[in-house]
Amino acid sequence: MSVTAYLAIGVFAVTYVLIATERIHRVAAALGGAAAMVLIGAARGHTVFFSQDTGVDWNVIFLLLGMMIIVGVLRQTGVFEFLAIWAAQRSGARPFRMMVLLCLITAGASALLDNVTTVLLIAPVTLLVADRLGLNPVPFLLAEAMASNIGGTATLIGDPPNIIIASRAGLSFNDFLVNLGPIVVLLLVVFLALAWVLWGRHLRVDPARAEALMSLRGADAITDRRLLGRLVVILVLVLAGFVTHSLHHIEPSLVALLGAGAAVLVSRLDHAVYLDDVEWETLVFFAGLFVMVGALVEEGVIGQLASSVTAAVDGRHLLATQGVLVGSAALSGLVDNIPYVATMSPLVQDLVGHSTTMTPQRGALWWALALGADLGGNATAVGASANVVILGIARRNGSPISFWSFTKYGLVVTAVTVAVCVPYLWLRYFVLG
Amino acid sequence: MIAADLAENIPTVLRETLASEAARVIAEYRLPGLIVADDAGVPIAVVPGSQLLAVILPQYVREDPALAHVFGERDADELCAKLNDTTIGALLDAQKLVAKELPSVLPDDTVLEVAAVMVAEHMPLIVVRGEDGTYHGAVMLSRALAAIAARAGQDSELMRRRLERDLLPPPPPSATGPAGAGSP
Repeated sequence: MSVTAYLAIGVFAVTYVLIATERIHRVAAALGGAAAMVLIGAARGHTVFFSQDTGVDWNVIFLLLGMMIIVGVLRQTGVFEFLAIWAAQRSGARPFRMMVLLCLITAGASALLDNVTTVLLIAPVTLLVADRLGLNPVPFLLAEAMASNIGGTATLIGDPPNIIIASRAGLSFNDFLVNLGPIVVLLLVVFLALAWVLWGRHLRVDPARAEALMSLRGADAITDRRLLGRLVVILVLVLAGFVTHSLHHIEPSLVALLGAGAAVLVSRLDHAVYLDDVEWETLVFFAGLFVMVGALVEEGVIGQLASSVTAAVDGRHLLATQGVLVGSAALSGLVDNIPYVATMSPLVQDLVGHSTTMTPQRGALWWALALGADLGGNATAVGASANVVILGIARRNGSPISFWSFTKYGLVVTAVTVAVCVPYLWLRYFVLG
Repeated sequence: MIAADLAENIPTVLRETLASEAARVIAEYRLPGLIVADDAGVPIAVVPGSQLLAVILPQYVREDPALAHVFGERDADELCAKLNDTTIGALLDAQKLVAKELPSVLPDDTVLEVAAVMVAEHMPLIVVRGEDGTYHGAVMLSRALAAIAARAGQDSELMRRRLERDLLPPPPPSATGPAGAGSP
């Protein structure tokens, strides 16, 4: 390897430590790392801007931007609040039933939209219904954060790591749905059983307080029914656009941007309202990461690493798959899963080869990476953005959740859900595949 | 017109005053905020009235205002009744009310200086204090704007009355704080 390659490894390692330890803000660290890559000559303008493999992956950035704008418009309608109150009332004020319904709504919304916004909208309603019933909201909030991370695993757009994997591997929305959808359904069933053991069996509510819940006027949460109707149509069309990609070959990022444009047009909202929901920091963070990882690819570091790993794997794909699953889950609990997946993707790509020539055994590595990174986010309070958001909301509302009180449940949930994935990957891709 | 001319005697509340009583005082006198006084009746802090409104709202409604739509009248009664369960002091200690440390002007400050402090502090209510700390009363936004409108050539009976008549009669010469100081 060249001197530049060694310098690039140094820059990458320092930046990664800064991101993982949060010594400086992750956006500043990623942009600083990207700038250093340019200064040492490892990243160049034509690759940074115009190469999907070694520069900024605009498909990822614009898919995220489009979906953020759609959610920004949709949240103005109050539909999330309506759904959560409807679920709580539908449960007949029975706490565990209420937890199940809220978790299913959270998981479903996280699969179709993004999970941070989902928990941001479901959590305040959860606090409201818990307050009405005189229940401790903490078990509900914990369950929702974890359901959101599990639900988001099911689709290409559900969790940012999946978007990176999809773009890098050339996998479609349907690939994710077909390969991860079934296991996520199973994981949700297992998670809800765990939720009963961890929290549900301890929940008690005073029957006299049920009336306070039933008196809430959930339908009044919807501020604009006409707009909601139009947005539902747009969302269905966007999802149809993702599902029918093989027919029209329009990139998911463009489908999302078309949907965002249509949502803005029909809503006639002021730009400040829907742009307020765009997480610009996340988008810039992604760009910085792509430049850094691209520099490693450009300098041949990833290729060399992939050769070493390929030699070590020596055709033992099952072992490699289970190693990626468990290793990704462990690492994603400790560090942000976005930089982890951004770094691992080119490596896995070298191991797997192009999607058109991918065997089920080799392809299993991508699913192991997605499952490990997404489910590992449940392990600790800082493992996923949704967890951090839930902790912040709980603290501001006088029900603080400490790092360890999240983590002691998160570790159990992660261990069990990852354990369920081990036989799934083996059966589906190595026995039946 | 200088700050001493604009200053008027307005009701104050104590730390021990119930939040519901404080709300009543604001409503009765149409105050833009609360002046909190110590036991001797000397003003120690100013709180914008809108903060008292926020006290009845659970934090989750403040984070997602759309949730306010789902409450019925009975729920609203319950939430409003919470003002009977707490005092101004308790709310200040819990930082549910964030008091400003007496934004003040000197008695001989001009209207422009009064306006500058109100704008800088985002406060519709400021106190007038001498250099030795003597309290001369408070200036409310409505009176400051009346003085400004008069300078801009506006005139009306109501506006003149606002400039000439104080909200409360001046305190007796022996009093240490403003008349009406303490729990109203």
